[in-house]
Parts: sequence; C-alpha cells; structure tokens
Amino acid sequence: MSQNPPKWADRFLAWYCNPDLLEDLQGDLYEVYYQHLDQDKPTKAKWLFIWLVLRSFRPSVFRRTEHHNNSFLAMTRNNIKIALRVLWMDRTNSAINLLGLTIGISCFLLLGLYVKQELSYDDFHTQKDRIYRMWLKEDYGEGKIFFNSNTPLRFERLMEDNFPEVARAVHYIEESFLVGRGESRIDERVAVISPDFFEVFDFPIGKGSASNPLPSRSDMAVSTSYANKYFGDTDPIGQTLGVEVLGEIRGFNISAVFQDIPTESSIQFDMAISTENGGDLYGDRMYQAWFSIIPETYVLLKDQATIATVESKMQDVVLSQMGDANDGPMPRDQYNIGFQPLTDIHLNPAIPLGFAPVSNPQYVFILGAIGLLVLVIACINYTTLAAGQSLKRAKEVGVRKVLGAARSTLVYQYLTESIVLALMAMLIGILITLALIPTFNVLTGSELLYSFDWSHFAIFLSAGLVIGLVAGAYPALVISGFNVIGILKGNKSAPGGLNVRRALVVLQFVITVFLISTALIMRDQIQYLMTKDLGYNYATVVTAELPRDSEADRLSTIISSGMDNGELIKAKLEAYPEISNVAMGSHLLGSNGWANLAYTDPNEVFRRFRLLVVDANYLDAFDIPIVAGRRFEDGNGLDQRQSILLNETAVSYFGFDDPIGKKLPGNSFGEHIIIGVVKDFNYSSLHSEIEPLVITQNIIPIVQGVSDYDFKDSYSPKLVFTYSGSQLTDATEILEREWEATFPNEALEYEFLDQRIRSQYENEARMNKLISVATVLSIVIASLGLLGLIMLVVASKLKEISIRKVMGASPFTILFVLSRGFMVQLLIAIALSVPLTLWFADSWLENFAYQTQIGPGLFVISGLLAIIVSAIVIGYHAWRATRVNPIKSLRME
Amino acid sequence: MRGENIGELEELVLLTIGAIYKEAYALAILEEIKQNTDRSMDVTAVHSVLRRLEKKGFVTSKMGGATQDRGGRRKRFFSLTQAGRKMLDQTMALRMSLYNKLPRLTFSTLS
Repeated sequence: MSQNPPKWADRFLAWYCNPDLLEDLQGDLYEVYYQHLDQDKPTKAKWLFIWLVLRSFRPSVFRRTEHHNNSFLAMTRNNIKIALRVLWMDRTNSAINLLGLTIGISCFLLLGLYVKQELSYDDFHTQKDRIYRMWLKEDYGEGKIFFNSNTPLRFERLMEDNFPEVARAVHYIEESFLVGRGESRIDERVAVISPDFFEVFDFPIGKGSASNPLPSRSDMAVSTSYANKYFGDTDPIGQTLGVEVLGEIRGFNISAVFQDIPTESSIQFDMAISTENGGDLYGDRMYQAWFSIIPETYVLLKDQATIATVESKMQDVVLSQMGDANDGPMPRDQYNIGFQPLTDIHLNPAIPLGFAPVSNPQYVFILGAIGLLVLVIACINYTTLAAGQSLKRAKEVGVRKVLGAARSTLVYQYLTESIVLALMAMLIGILITLALIPTFNVLTGSELLYSFDWSHFAIFLSAGLVIGLVAGAYPALVISGFNVIGILKGNKSAPGGLNVRRALVVLQFVITVFLISTALIMRDQIQYLMTKDLGYNYATVVTAELPRDSEADRLSTIISSGMDNGELIKAKLEAYPEISNVAMGSHLLGSNGWANLAYTDPNEVFRRFRLLVVDANYLDAFDIPIVAGRRFEDGNGLDQRQSILLNETAVSYFGFDDPIGKKLPGNSFGEHIIIGVVKDFNYSSLHSEIEPLVITQNIIPIVQGVSDYDFKDSYSPKLVFTYSGSQLTDATEILEREWEATFPNEALEYEFLDQRIRSQYENEARMNKLISVATVLSIVIASLGLLGLIMLVVASKLKEISIRKVMGASPFTILFVLSRGFMVQLLIAIALSVPLTLWFADSWLENFAYQTQIGPGLFVISGLLAIIVSAIVIGYHAWRATRVNPIKSLRME
Repeated sequence: MRGENIGELEELVLLTIGAIYKEAYALAILEEIKQNTDRSMDVTAVHSVLRRLEKKGFVTSKMGGATQDRGGRRKRFFSLTQAGRKMLDQTMALRMSLYNKLPRLTFSTLS
C-alpha cells in the first residue's frame, strides 16, 4: 500500500499518546484508514483519520509525564500551602500587606483603564490602519500660515480622481439644524456625510440597508438612541423627520438606524444626512473653491498602498489641478496637503482641531504615571515589611539549608509567598475596581466602560505575577542569603540590607510627598484661574443665543438680523427692575475662538486680530473700563456706523502712540474711526494670552479690509443681562416667559456666564480630583507601610526599651529613640521631593498663560502633612511600647 | 464500591468481548457491536471504554503477533477476567429478577 495517512496527524498522535497505548491504537486507526482507502475513498479516509486522531486526544490516552516535572509541581503545591500558612500565621502583617497591595492595584487598574480608553480611541475600526484624515496647511511665509483639519469640499473628488492608491474619500461635516416632528423643533447636531461613509468606518447598521444606508438626499440615518428618542417603540424606518434647512422645513425619510457610536470614537453623531445636500447647503461654487474649508475629509487607502506615495505625488497633482486660476501659478510648497492617521487624532494636539475633540496627551501620561507610582509605593511597602520580617524566618531558613535546600529553592519558596499575596490582592483589586467604576465616572466626568474579555484574564494574571515578583524579589534574596551557621548558633544580629530598606522607605516618602505637593499646586492653579480678575464682571450674568432670520446667510446679515431680534426682547426685559444691563454681542466672554481676521497692511506686514461686534451697552454690562477716549454712546448714529474701540494689546500691536481719531493701518477698510481704548480683559480662557481685539457696532467696514477670516466660535448674536434679584431661578422664569412671548417658535437655550467660565477649566479640575484621590490613597498605603515597620521596630527593640526604662528613661526619650530613624528618612524625602515637584509643576504650568506662584509655603504644608500623618501612625505604637512592663520582656534571659 | 458499577456501553463492550471470545481487539469489537445494534460509534470511543474496563479489572489484554495490514503494528487482544465474568452474571441476574416481576405488573395495570 503506497498511500499513508497524513504525517502530521500521525506524529501528533505519537506525540501525545502514552507509548504503552500507542501501538494498538495507531494500528486500529491505520486499519480504519486502509479500509476506506480500499473502498477508493482516499479523501474520506484522510479526514476520518484526522478526526479519529483528534477524538483520541483525551486525558486517558495522554503520555504520563509526571516523572519529569513531578518535583517541580509537588514543590509548587507545597510552597503554596506553606505560603498560605505563613500568611495566616502572621495575620496582622498579611492584612497590612494585602490591604496596601489591594489599594495600590485598584488605583492602578482604574487609572490604567482610563489611560487605556484614551489610548484606544478609534481602534475599533477594522480598516483603521488605512484611514487618514487630511489637513491643509497654507504657508505664505512671514508667519502667514493657515493650518486646518477642515478641508475644502473639493478634496473628496481630488483624492478619488487623481490617486489610484485611494480606495475611498469621504466627507464628514457637523452642522446644526432645527429638527422635530410637528411644531416643536430643537437644535440638533446633524452630520453631513458622504454616502459611502459607512464603508470606511465601522459604525454597524442595525436596521435598513447596510450596503446603502443613505440612498438619496432626502434620507437620514439615526442612531438607536435617537430613533428611540423621536419614534419610541414604532419602527423608525420609513418615518419622516422635519429638518429646517436654509429656512425651509424638509421632511427626511429615515432610511437606516445605526448602533450608538461608542465613546472611544473621535467621530460622534446621532443623525446623519447625505452630502448630496452639499450643493444646497454650501452652494455649488464651494465645490470648486480651494481656499474655503468646511468638511473633514477622510481617505481610505487601498490594501497595499502607503500614504508616503500619496504624499510624494501631492504637490504635482495640486499644482496641475489648480492651474493658473489664482492670478498666476501657485508657487510650490505653499499649498500643502497632509495626512494624519485616524488613530492619531485623539491624542495629538499638534494638528489643529477639526470636529473631533482632542485630549491632552500630557494628562493621559500624568494619570498613567500616577497609577504606576501608587502601585510602586504599594510594592515598596511589601518589600520593606517582608525584608524586615525576615529575621523571624531565620531559623526556618537555617533548618531548610541544613536539610539541603539550594538557594534557588528558597528564593522560589519566598517568591511563591509574595506571588500568592499579589494574586489575592489582584483578585480583590479587580472586584473593587469593577465596583468603583461608576463612582469614578461621576467623580471625573468620564465615561469609562469595562467589558470583560478573556485576554484580560491573562493580563491580570501576568500583572499579578509581575507585582508579586517585583515586590518579593528583594526579601527573597535577603532571606535566602542568610548564613546558616550564624543563624543556628542563635546569632540574632539583623540581616544585611538595612540601607536598602532605608532607601526604599525614603523613596516611598518621596513619592508620597511629591503627590501631596502636586495635588496642592494643581488646586492652587485652578483656584487662581477661577478667581483671577478677568478684567470684567460676570457674576449673575445670564446669556442666551438670539434667533436670526432664516434667510440670513451672510456674516453681516446674520449678525444684524440677530441684533434686530434682540431689540424686540430687550425692551421687555428692561421693564423688570431686577434685570439690568441688557446688551448684545457676537461673542461671549469666556469662550474660545472669537472671530479671527487677518490682512496684509500697507507695510507688507501680515496682521491678525480678533473682532467683537456689540451693541452700545455690551461693554458697560460687564464693567469693562475705558482707559482712553470714550465709550460707545447709546443712540449715537455715527457710533453705530463707523466708530471702533481697541483693546490695549491692539494699540501696541498696531503701533499707535495715540490711537484716538486714527484709523486701522490698511487700505481697504471701510469708513471707520478709533474713538477709544478699553482696558485689556481676558475674553477667552486663561490658557492663552490676550490678543489684539477690535470692537465695533458695524461689521461691514472692518470686513471690507481683511483678506482672511475664521470663526471657531458661533458668531450669531447673544443676549446678555445682569440679574440682581435673589433667586436665579426667577431670572430664568422671566427669560422663559418673555422669550415665549417674543419668539414663540424658537427654542431657548440660556446659560450662566460664571458656569461657562468655570467649565473652561473642567479638564484641570478633573485632573486635580484624580490626583487628590491618588494622593489620599498613597498616603494611606504609605501609612500602612509605616505602621508595619514601626510594629517591627518595636518588636525587635522590646528589650532595649525595657532596659532603658529600668535605667530610668522617660517615655519621651523612648518615643524619640523609636521614631528618630523614620523622621530622618522623612526629612530627606521631603528635601528630595522639592526639585521633582518643581520640575513637574513647571512643565504642567506651561499649559497656562497665567500661572500661580509656587511658594515655599506649599512645600512646608505638604511636608508638615506627611510628618503629622507619620507621627500619628508611629506615635500610637511607640507610645504603647513605652508602656511595656520591663519584667515581662526581660525575665526570660 | 467505586469501580464496581459499569455503564450501559461498558456492559455492551464487556458482553461483546465475551461473545467474540478470541481475537477481540478494538476494531473487531466495534464491528460486532455495529452488526448487532444500530449504534453509530467510532473506534476511539471503544478504546476509551476498553481502557476504563481494564482499569477496573474486568478485562485483561495482551499484544498479538505482528500484522501486515496495519503498518506492521500489533493488535491488542482483550479477554474477560473472573471479575468481568462475575460482573456480567450479576447484572444479568439483577435484570432477570426484575424482569420476572414485569408481566404481572403489566397485566394488572392493563386490566
């Protein structure tokens, strides 16, 4: 017979099968195989053989391998048993160790989950390695740079038509529309996406056609939760939803329901319509424009293509496409298009913000580091305590060594102890973490989700092993290194490595004091930001965005129609005695991204400034003082047409000595005149410096003179007023009533300015909370370690204390003797933590244009705090030690 | 006592070994069972039952002579032990005694 069964299956059988059983089992399988072969069924014979080999794979057939690994397995079992007994025997110490490790691990896991979530943004897209977001950087030299993650509308075609490497290019635009069924409409964020958007990203379609979720321009896809919000239990597919698009209410047909987008997605939307509406929304001309940016453009590369080839061809394609359309050929490298990997978006602040929010990678790093530090403290705890305890085990080690235990065996035994403890701590820590996730979310305002995965099991297990190894390595080495003869003779001198232990305790203190100081500095800075005089008065100011006429589509008409509407409600509100300073402006104080205008002045200097369009009362409403000239006069027609104000920064930026009565340097501005200078005020957040600001009532003459503008903030006018009554709820009631009477069909969205300003520092406040919690935990862990150490010291010095007492030492002397060592270590640690803290604080404070001062007082406070906590922990035990009866401890010798 | 009870499949295999008497190796047993019953099993199941029975002491085995048609590998022939025979007798007796009570019961329930 020439044909044989598959060799690998045969080998596999021979590998796992007990040799005693192999011959006849193999023989039977061969016989079955040949039977089928004889019946001319070679394929079936082959598969049957494989199947039978796999079926035979069961424990009763397995090779008996006890002989080789027997001692290792048996010793491990024995070691675990001994470890459990030792842990049980010394319960107080084990509890301290376990508690410390558990707290450390829980803290580490929670922060680790947070960090992991931040790092895994957009990881769930299966094609994520081939998806890139485009950016556009126009660089005309001399600082005249326009860098954006939003691109011109024509980029989708540009990529799809000119680059064979690109499989698809899709647009993503976030728009605000009024949406609703029937009469009531609310402002909703609606995404405008390319029809093939769902081919690129993994947002699974629940209902409707998965291959073509947005078949026409009148179709809309909604998320599951929004389907529920608008349609409840009825089937949303085929229903219509009214959306006000350019002043006209259009019915959109729900064509697909997609699953809610996970938190870890940069792209977040609940309703989407097709970019086939783009022509209506933005005008067909925008699809030809090279310099007007609207959407984010994402490209999906083909399987084998690399982004480098696309980038290398980019300039040539752009130049050939652009032609001579813009007065002469475009020089090379002025119009740069680049690509950012999808997974890079969430943590890369170097690329400008598009629609997707970006996290500060520094914070992710800080949190990860803090989680690790707390874990390190917990490990050090175990190390110092276990090394200190080692004297108790001296006899055991001696006997074991005499009986022939090798050093490696002993190391293995003591490591088993620490690993068992670490695994126990890991188990409890995981449970605590799971239980604490909701609290953590409330505390930090994050949306942490934990979903179990079997791979995590391996991670937890190996993390537990590593923690056990790291924490137990040093004690195991110390204990196994004992000198047999010395020990058995009864020599009780302390084992070596005292200095190592001292150093570890100092390290632990350094980390703790560092965390305390850091938490204090962060609190200081946030306090400073919240309470800093911003240059204006914003207490009890209520604001609401004014409705604008739906026909208004140009900058100037949007602002003027909003202001006209504002006048309607302004008069009504002013009738209330508790409402004062009713005013309107295009931007709110405390929001970033005010209108940013740019032009080239007659001296060929490229100038940028911010613009605020107001009514005559806006500055007065916030008590913003005038330092030169005069303010706007209410009802002064000239002021309304052409007067402008500058802030102090703008005066020096434009190089005026005395700006009053002058004009802005520039040839194409309309008729305008500078009538006054306002004192600098921090109109955006304190992360950034004050920039030059022009304040006007009439936007037209200013806009005439600039060549570029961008708005990161909404510029439709807002109403502001100060409420002086006692109940803020009354203010909102009045506003709601008058709003309803004036604009019956418009949704009212109001907010309090102080809340808005405070929310600018939410990130920092959240960080501070997290660090405070980590600090408290690290103090607890370090105190536990200290507690264990002092108990150890007291136990080993019992005789010394007794003799001192007999000789007439006062309790305070004894207290001093016991705690002297710790206090010295603590002082060294405090000193060492100062430069560390300073270095960290400096690099963190660079995030802010306005920084609090770090004084020595702060270190005094954190040092004192550490000393007081240690004193309490040490004091109690030391005090008890001074009360011992000398007779009890001395009579034995 | 543990090991004294046997399952239905074990009993079937045990009986088959006794019935074949000579040359009872796994495939032959499987063939016999297939002929007498309509059970579909594969040879690995028979092997595992045989190992269990041997461990319980109801069968013994010895290797036969070399063969041609199975890659030169020898067969393992099984035979009943005293304990195996006794086990079969006991189960049979138990069944018969229960079975003998059956007709009366059946008629009484029918009437």
